[in-house]
Amino acid sequence: MATVVLDKIRKVYETKVAVEGLSLRIEPGTMFGLLGPNGSGKTSSIRMMIGITVPDSGTVTLFDKPFERDALKRVGYLPEERGLYKKMNVMEQITFMGQLRGLSATEADKRGKAWAERLQITEALPKKTEELSKGMQQKIQFITALIHEPELIIMDEPFSGLDPVNGALLQDTLMDLRREGKAILFSTHRMDQVEKMCDAIALIHRGRIVLEGNMREIKSRYPKNRVEVTFEGDNSFLRNAEVESAEEFGGGMASVKLRGDGITTMPDAQPLLAEAVARGTRISRFEVKEPTLEEIFIERVGGAVDA
Amino acid sequence: MRNIFLIARREYLERVRTKGFMIATILIPLLMGGGITASILIAKHSKSSSHIVIVSPDLALANDVQDQLNRDTEGEMLLNIVAPPSANTLPGLKASLKSKDIDGYLWITPAAQKGAKPKIEYRQGSSADLATRNTVRDALDKVLTRDRLVAQGMSKADVADMMSPITMNAADEEQDSTSANFAGAYVLFFLMYMVIMLYGMNVARSIIEEKTSRVFEVMLATVKPAEMMAGKVIGVGSVGLTQVFIWMAAAVVLTATPLLTHFLGGGTHISLSAAQVGYFIVYFLLGYLLYSSIAAALGAMTNSEQELQQLNMFLVMPLAACMVTLPLVLNSPNSIYARILSLIPFCTPLLMYMRISVSPVPWYEIAASIVLMAITIYVVLWIASRIYRVGILMYGKKPNLPEIVRWMKYS
Repeated sequence: MATVVLDKIRKVYETKVAVEGLSLRIEPGTMFGLLGPNGSGKTSSIRMMIGITVPDSGTVTLFDKPFERDALKRVGYLPEERGLYKKMNVMEQITFMGQLRGLSATEADKRGKAWAERLQITEALPKKTEELSKGMQQKIQFITALIHEPELIIMDEPFSGLDPVNGALLQDTLMDLRREGKAILFSTHRMDQVEKMCDAIALIHRGRIVLEGNMREIKSRYPKNRVEVTFEGDNSFLRNAEVESAEEFGGGMASVKLRGDGITTMPDAQPLLAEAVARGTRISRFEVKEPTLEEIFIERVGGAVDA
Repeated sequence: MRNIFLIARREYLERVRTKGFMIATILIPLLMGGGITASILIAKHSKSSSHIVIVSPDLALANDVQDQLNRDTEGEMLLNIVAPPSANTLPGLKASLKSKDIDGYLWITPAAQKGAKPKIEYRQGSSADLATRNTVRDALDKVLTRDRLVAQGMSKADVADMMSPITMNAADEEQDSTSANFAGAYVLFFLMYMVIMLYGMNVARSIIEEKTSRVFEVMLATVKPAEMMAGKVIGVGSVGLTQVFIWMAAAVVLTATPLLTHFLGGGTHISLSAAQVGYFIVYFLLGYLLYSSIAAALGAMTNSEQELQQLNMFLVMPLAACMVTLPLVLNSPNSIYARILSLIPFCTPLLMYMRISVSPVPWYEIAASIVLMAITIYVVLWIASRIYRVGILMYGKKPNLPEIVRWMKYS
């Protein structure tokens, strides 16, 4: 069973193609990252997933059934911008959203308070929404999206505008929800976050998927051509024949990219280490790494990234 | 249905709890009551209490004028007679006028020929005192008419009898309730106009607010656009109804106050028949639904209040047209123009209601007006919810007409 299946969806606004032939699949209990620069079609895809707009062609399947509005009761959605009534009291806001998702007023109230405690914002409950800081509002929105215990959680840029402490708090909460078996999709243009959190990803560029699949699998498709070195002494080993480019930082640290595309020739870090040892350079760290997601992305789209 | 109710309740509570609503709801009846009371008090006390000197060589004529003025002002005026005047009279009067010992003088020089008009000169200290001048003129008019009638050969008794004020039979039931009905209809007409105007715009504004805060995105991921729009229209409309209800209750209390009845001399209650109230509710609801649906579409099309301002003529113009044609309908409520105008759905709530209030309207015309309105509301709502669903997701530039037509086709 899959929580979400998008099959070749396409959406054109006036003359602009927002999404073109996009297909993806999200399983329960996974954290799915939807990646791409601004304006690449992330939000358009999400909107079609939850029926705010309808694709021009292609199909959306939620919980193994063709899209129907009833399925939205099992979906929690957090839009990119603040989707809250500014003049409304926070607790009333949470209860209102809970009731719209089919909860009774008392149940919505109970769950809202429990969530507020978990996210450390109990003191904000009696206040008006517009009196709260951006981060606080984001947490309230987080609660309104999760109050009905959805099986599919969709979050558009959930970490934007959050300080590191609150960002970590929400990150932990999402990880807990994944462990509970929920399917979570979030969009971001911050690749580092995705690397830490996601099981599967889809990279979108100009409305098309350029890369999709399991995170480990994607990374293993790329050769380990990165070497992070910390050393003392002679640095001439960095000009080894296997080295394509090297970047030196202060404090004897360097980042090296090895030759070899992983298809015809495999990158090899061994000669580099051998040369350093032969030249008597003291090595305190020598780590052979996969390329970062960002590097993969840039490689795939040819550096045309504006985010 | 539950969602529509929840949304309507939220909209209702958010508005009813604002200070603006409370102030408007309480202040307007207070202002109305205060205004009515003040105008009655002013009318009561606007009788002239000036000090006037009447000068004439003819003592009898001067006495007649004095008597008439006393009768007209119930003795409020202070009157002196100088008859006949001496050579010092005029300078003396001018001095008194300057020193404000007197407010004015009236100099009557009888014509040499019997029955001809006398020469009359009236001077007053303040040219702005119109009330006194009018009182003096009215009194003079009566006295001189009497004199000339006597001069024409009528007996004094006949003249007095002829000039005595007529008494109108004010106890005529039907006559009385029609005029009160009319007053009631007029008040309701303006209430309807005001509330449709005010709360129609409110619907548009709240849609724009939701668009700018992007709340609708969360809402659309939860409820249908039609539910959202229906909830909004119903919620905001209920606020308008609440306000009208409070104002009407205040009006009833106000007109029933013994104090006010005393001032008005009774019989001026704004009395409404049950049918009139029934029609008011029906046409108010229909009118509100029609105009707020248009407003919802306008709100969905625009991104800011400024843009809305440019489009709100679509809302104002039909209503303004109704106001312009109102005299026509009132003067001849059953003319062909009045009948056609009152069947145009955009005018029906105001004009048909007014027609029903002032004269009997055939049942089939009423039925036709309601059916026509219902159809129009359905069509406007259908178009509005399409525009709403697409327009609410559009940011940036304002759509042009071909674009809006294209939106209709989006599924």
